[in-house]
Amino acid sequence: MDIKKLISKISKVYSMDIKISEEVANLLKDNGLKAEEMEKVIKDAEESGKKLESKDGSKCLAKAEDDNLTCYALYSASNGGFSLDSGYAHKMKMVGPTGGEFNVEAADEADWICKKCNENAIEANVDMTYLGVTRPGNAIVCPKCGDMYLGEDMVPTIKGAEGILEEKRG
Amino acid sequence: MPAEDFAPINSEWLEKAGNLWTTPFVDKPSERVIVDPILLSHAAALFKKTPKYFWENPDEAARMVCQACELYDITPVGHYLWADYWGQDYGAEIKIQETSPPAITKYPIKEPEDIDKFEVKSPEELKEGPTFKDHFKALDTVLEEYPQMFAPITQLAGPMEVATNWAGIEDVFMWMITEPEIVDKLIVKATEHMVNACKVTAEKYGANVMITGSVVASGDLLEREQIKRFSYEPQCKAVKNVLKAGAGPGIYYHLCGNHTNSFDMWKDAPMSPFTVVQVGNDGKNVFPSSKLVEHFGDRCTCFGVVDTKLIDRGTPRQVYDQTAEQLQAGKDSPRGFIIGSSCECPTYAPPANVHAMVKAAKDYGKYEKF
Repeated sequence: MDIKKLISKISKVYSMDIKISEEVANLLKDNGLKAEEMEKVIKDAEESGKKLESKDGSKCLAKAEDDNLTCYALYSASNGGFSLDSGYAHKMKMVGPTGGEFNVEAADEADWICKKCNENAIEANVDMTYLGVTRPGNAIVCPKCGDMYLGEDMVPTIKGAEGILEEKRG
Repeated sequence: MPAEDFAPINSEWLEKAGNLWTTPFVDKPSERVIVDPILLSHAAALFKKTPKYFWENPDEAARMVCQACELYDITPVGHYLWADYWGQDYGAEIKIQETSPPAITKYPIKEPEDIDKFEVKSPEELKEGPTFKDHFKALDTVLEEYPQMFAPITQLAGPMEVATNWAGIEDVFMWMITEPEIVDKLIVKATEHMVNACKVTAEKYGANVMITGSVVASGDLLEREQIKRFSYEPQCKAVKNVLKAGAGPGIYYHLCGNHTNSFDMWKDAPMSPFTVVQVGNDGKNVFPSSKLVEHFGDRCTCFGVVDTKLIDRGTPRQVYDQTAEQLQAGKDSPRGFIIGSSCECPTYAPPANVHAMVKAAKDYGKYEKF
């Protein structure tokens, strides 16, 4: 990408309009997340192209990780900007394929495409670590770059597991 | 037997047993491997009651199981279930038998044409149905009277097992050859039922364990491709949907019987952080713990087994020796290990044989990894 295009893309990203409805703002509050965090996740994903896009093109899923938390923004395009549809997070850190490698042939295809690789994502078990315990969880994975995402519908399972680990290990 | 007829559970034992039980799931160090002989109506025999009495009285059954856990020093969890669950909810007739678990005598699906018309019950309908009525009576008893031994489960087995509780096993197996597409339809309905049943348990109790796996769909009865098509693949979809519906996080894959020709495919089955895999037999032999750990040890908690027939008909020494061998091969499995029976503890198994398993766990099940 030449420098002009790059500057143009960056300026577009940094001037982007991200709408957050009152309902989603309350959800973020319930999940202990801040609107600014979600905006940064979206901006970083749009800048880097590192995100999942639903097969029908209507939604994107992006994430930001640090040592203690992985935050997700589920968003869609809206009037030249973006609209945050949901935000969630988990403490268990995804570290790699369960059993050492993904069995792509045996895996179900997910409803997502890795935008960076333009590759169909799969559903597979990934190892997740928390409080010194490593166990599997079912995630959405790009078979090419290995990027791992937790689907929103799996959050209650992982939150439940985190709660049990905190009670027994904390 | 009402609650007041039982002696109180020793709280010191309960705390220690609770720690042994949680170690395989959370890696919190404890002394040794826990024993889970999958105790159901065997508990009734300890109280001079019959299997019929056990299954007709779910609250008393739950009390007897909890008490037996202390008596034997095994997994401190109160359970109540039997294999032919869910038929009654759809119009099957069952017979409560004197010396064995309830069995279906009349199936709601008699002809292939019945499958198209067959409607899966909603969670609301299942909640009010006969299966959950007894199941919840037992679980509520544990919750109220033995709260530290409460770990709610949903008994599903796999889609083949649900399907063969709706239609006779001989019919389903024949249709698998003559009209396999109709069996596909039946299996899809069974998976929908599995999700709805798990939703009910999750809504009532929150965190729970689904017992799933493959019993009918074993290597003695089906080819690998049949197991894949009619059991493994639909079951994987069902488990994912169950988790997405908010049930779990516990998943217990109970692969009963001979799974030499198919056990490896379960390595990629959907897993949660609290997943247990148990395989009953390798051909005619008990499934070796070494093989179980080799294939599943870096994935989930392994449930090593002692042959149920041996527990029923063997000598205490034979049971002790096999338990010791299985323990030594599996106890330090990276993601936890449990030792138990390959299926439900037979009702009239000698108590000395169950004790022999626990004795072996005390002698050979001490962890070295902590």
